[in-house]
Amino acid sequence: MKPELLQGSRSRILASVVLVIAAVFVLRLFYLQVIQHNHYVSLAQQEQVKKERLPATRGEIYALSGDSPVKLVLNETVYTVFVDPAVIIENDSADKVEKVMKAVAGGNVVDDFDKLLDKEDSRYQIIAKRVTRTQAEKIKDEKLSGIGFTAVSQRVYPEGQLAAQTLGFVNADGVGNYGLEGYMNDELAGKDGRLETVTDVSDVPLTIGDRNIREPAENGKNIVMSIDRNIQSKVEQALAAGIQRSRATDASVVVMDPNTGRVMAMANLPTYNPSEYYKVNDAALFNNGTISAPYEPGSDVKTYTMAAAIDKGVATANDTYYNTDSIKVDDRTITNATKGHTGVISFQTALTWSLNTGFVTLAERLGNGKDITKTARDTMYEYFHDRLGLGQNTGIELANEQKGIIISPDDADGNAVRYSNMSFGQGLDATLIQVTSGFCALINGGNYYKPTVISGYVNGEGEYVQNATPQPAKLGVVKETTSQQIKEMTHVARSSFRGIDKAGYYIGGKTGTSQVIKNGVYADDETIATYLGYGGSDIDHPEYVIMVSIHGDHRILGGSADAMPIFTDISNWMLDYLKIQPKG
Amino acid sequence: MAAGWRERRGATPEGVIRKHHGDRLIVIFTVLLMFIGLLVIYAIGPQRANLMNSVFGFEYDSGYFFWKQLLSIGLALGAFWAMSVVPYNFVLKHGAKVLWAGFIACALLAVGYWVGVIEATNGAARWIELGPLGSVQPAEILKFGLLLYLAVFLAVRVKTGKINDWKETLLPVAAIAGFAVLFVIGIQKDLGTGISLTAIIVAMLFVAGINKKIIFSLFGVLLVAGMVMIFTSPHRVERVMTYLQGDNTSTEDADAYHIQHAKIAIGSGGMFGVGIGSSVQASGYLPESMNDSIFAIIGETFGFVGTVALLGLFVALLMRLLSVMDGMIDLRLKLLAAGVFGWLGAHVILNIAAMIGIFPLTGITLPLLSYGGTSMIFIAAALGLVFQLSKYTVHSSRIKEATDEDSRSRRGVRRTRYASRRGA
Repeated sequence: MKPELLQGSRSRILASVVLVIAAVFVLRLFYLQVIQHNHYVSLAQQEQVKKERLPATRGEIYALSGDSPVKLVLNETVYTVFVDPAVIIENDSADKVEKVMKAVAGGNVVDDFDKLLDKEDSRYQIIAKRVTRTQAEKIKDEKLSGIGFTAVSQRVYPEGQLAAQTLGFVNADGVGNYGLEGYMNDELAGKDGRLETVTDVSDVPLTIGDRNIREPAENGKNIVMSIDRNIQSKVEQALAAGIQRSRATDASVVVMDPNTGRVMAMANLPTYNPSEYYKVNDAALFNNGTISAPYEPGSDVKTYTMAAAIDKGVATANDTYYNTDSIKVDDRTITNATKGHTGVISFQTALTWSLNTGFVTLAERLGNGKDITKTARDTMYEYFHDRLGLGQNTGIELANEQKGIIISPDDADGNAVRYSNMSFGQGLDATLIQVTSGFCALINGGNYYKPTVISGYVNGEGEYVQNATPQPAKLGVVKETTSQQIKEMTHVARSSFRGIDKAGYYIGGKTGTSQVIKNGVYADDETIATYLGYGGSDIDHPEYVIMVSIHGDHRILGGSADAMPIFTDISNWMLDYLKIQPKG
Repeated sequence: MAAGWRERRGATPEGVIRKHHGDRLIVIFTVLLMFIGLLVIYAIGPQRANLMNSVFGFEYDSGYFFWKQLLSIGLALGAFWAMSVVPYNFVLKHGAKVLWAGFIACALLAVGYWVGVIEATNGAARWIELGPLGSVQPAEILKFGLLLYLAVFLAVRVKTGKINDWKETLLPVAAIAGFAVLFVIGIQKDLGTGISLTAIIVAMLFVAGINKKIIFSLFGVLLVAGMVMIFTSPHRVERVMTYLQGDNTSTEDADAYHIQHAKIAIGSGGMFGVGIGSSVQASGYLPESMNDSIFAIIGETFGFVGTVALLGLFVALLMRLLSVMDGMIDLRLKLLAAGVFGWLGAHVILNIAAMIGIFPLTGITLPLLSYGGTSMIFIAAALGLVFQLSKYTVHSSRIKEATDEDSRSRRGVRRTRYASRRGA
């Protein structure tokens, strides 16, 4: 065989082989680069584009101290300490780690942390939480192997427990719970930014391509509450003293500015330490009773009935009725708690002595004078619910507000008996904040302000920016003259207790003693004592409204004996603190 | 020595063939391919240097790889030029010596590795460090020596009509090939170079006109040998499994990761590519981005248009080699061209096939483009030799005539005559 003859054909075979393979390559390349292009681009992006969250700093919370904001809640970086038991076992360093941790962070270690150090087959165990920077530095200085730190932001409370239930707390996931933290969580949390960059294999950002996104974090809003830390502090002291005095179990206070609806103090006892919220066993402690515990407001609401009657022109303070210490409504007989003021007496007397019959009479006069007609009930419902806000959420900026119950006259239960009870504060459920807010309207000339705990914010430059002065949510819910008479009547009622107020001021108030419903019936061994009042230099300038409630398990507490002293304590202090000049 | 080969100028056995201009396209394609490689290395070199510095603590300058490659290209072009002017007879005469040198270098490498003088890289000892001169891959010398030696050896066997003779031809070739493959695959664990050695031998045998039966049995033997090699090395089993599993492999396996990222690079290039300097896969995602994987980076950078153009360049160069081969009357030279064709072709095909995921990874470079000196210098030398041969081509229609001892005639070969006049 002559190779010369073959070589031409063999060369052509080689050429064909190369061309066929090249054709296969071109097809394959077309498939990869054109048909599957998007698939590979997304695979490339998955590994090339690194996404990072830029955490927003949670807004801080301020209280007022007079006119300037002071920090009530701020942020602090603490460390979670974790170990890699595999490394510790390998280095046989468990004893040393245990010794160092006990010495430096003995209060922060988790239970039985020494056992976690020897956990075989584990690469991650948390052994201590909320270790401060200083502690962490000390641990780092020991140069232990197999130990690491994770930075965590946590809330710090320079004022300790002050206003805890109004503030709420931030849980381990950074979510606000209860109070302002819960209600304003979105504003406080801000918005996390995001960073998307094309990086090399070691995550070093590259300047290649247009896939780089940088959205800076929007830090949370720094909120300035209308709560005044000094008033709050005084109120909490007064409550504690009141509880001790009356051997009560719990008590609450709301202090409001009747001319703006701003809450100046809001407190409940017992309370909890928000920096150790995780140690609280009874979640009820997180509740802010003033907004989330509806109760039968009792006699304080007599001012509401009185106001409705005056406003409708069916009675005045000096109008009279015949008191027999009992009154029949349908098949029920209603009696007075305080007896003996029988005969023809004025409604002022009825208010001063808190005589139920007087207010049932007013309810009758809102109707046809004899019965609590549908008209009378409609009117009462309009004043209690629509105008003064009982049984409705006030919209205060705090989580877990409860609205209570007020039964409409259109309801089957909204009969005359029900409304006769309501006229002196029974048969309806309302919260302290509702009763206080309605009362503010009664004594400020008749304008209803939505209660608020916020007065402004601190901007990025650290300046306090005040919100606009609140405008009434509802104007003229009662006439100005009605408001004037309520102020006078409550002032007269309070004046029956002589010598308790500082001389020269105009203070008014109404006691209340509500029965407690237990298992559907009124308990006969337990009451809630309340006191609702206002104070100022003269009748035209009420500067504060204070509502107190105090309660003890199996304790019958009285409005005048148990709640009023707390009011008086706070009220007299407020006159000084607010530098109100005496006029009267 | 230089004077020695000058004296012999023109004293070829087929003295009837006049020297003419070489095939300039071979030069153009070679330089073009080198330039493309340099361009890509220029673009991704800084990223590579950065990565090496941060991960391995080197202190490479951002231009390090570019300048190194430029130097390699300079040396490679020098080798190309040298092989295109040193008379092929002189080169062929010393083929056996080069082959010996290759074997000795390989043996030195093996011994050096055993006694611990030479450190292994990626589990294989392939380089001999020459201090400031850089490093050299003995396998490349072996390849070149084998090319030269076999060209002469096989041509003699063809002339004596013993090309298909078992004792005279096949056993000696098998022995040399087996020895070389033992060194390269067995000791250096370099499957890629082993395959390219085999490709050189097979291409030469094929063109030498070896019996089809023998060719088929040769392929059978290679297949069995390949299987044995694959299954005696778990590393290679993995490669094949990776290949068979396609995209469904976990990226924990190094080869699967490599192929997957080569495909990501190529696929994300799209039609026109991401552009020079915008390759992200080169920033460390794709292993060996400047060496074995440079085709994938070209796919990412220049897209489908770029990869097809590059493929076209290689195919054109291979066609030029075949054309030179066809124009050779001297069988030794024909086989030389065939060997270079096999060498270049095997590298291009196996490299690209692995990158586009249709053949297992063999760790073979893309000739003329991949970063690295030795392999480029030797392939350039081989191409330079073919370029020299292209100066002695005759029209294929005359080959039959020329081999007929009685009717040698130069008439009608315009180009030869023209060239001789110009050359005068």
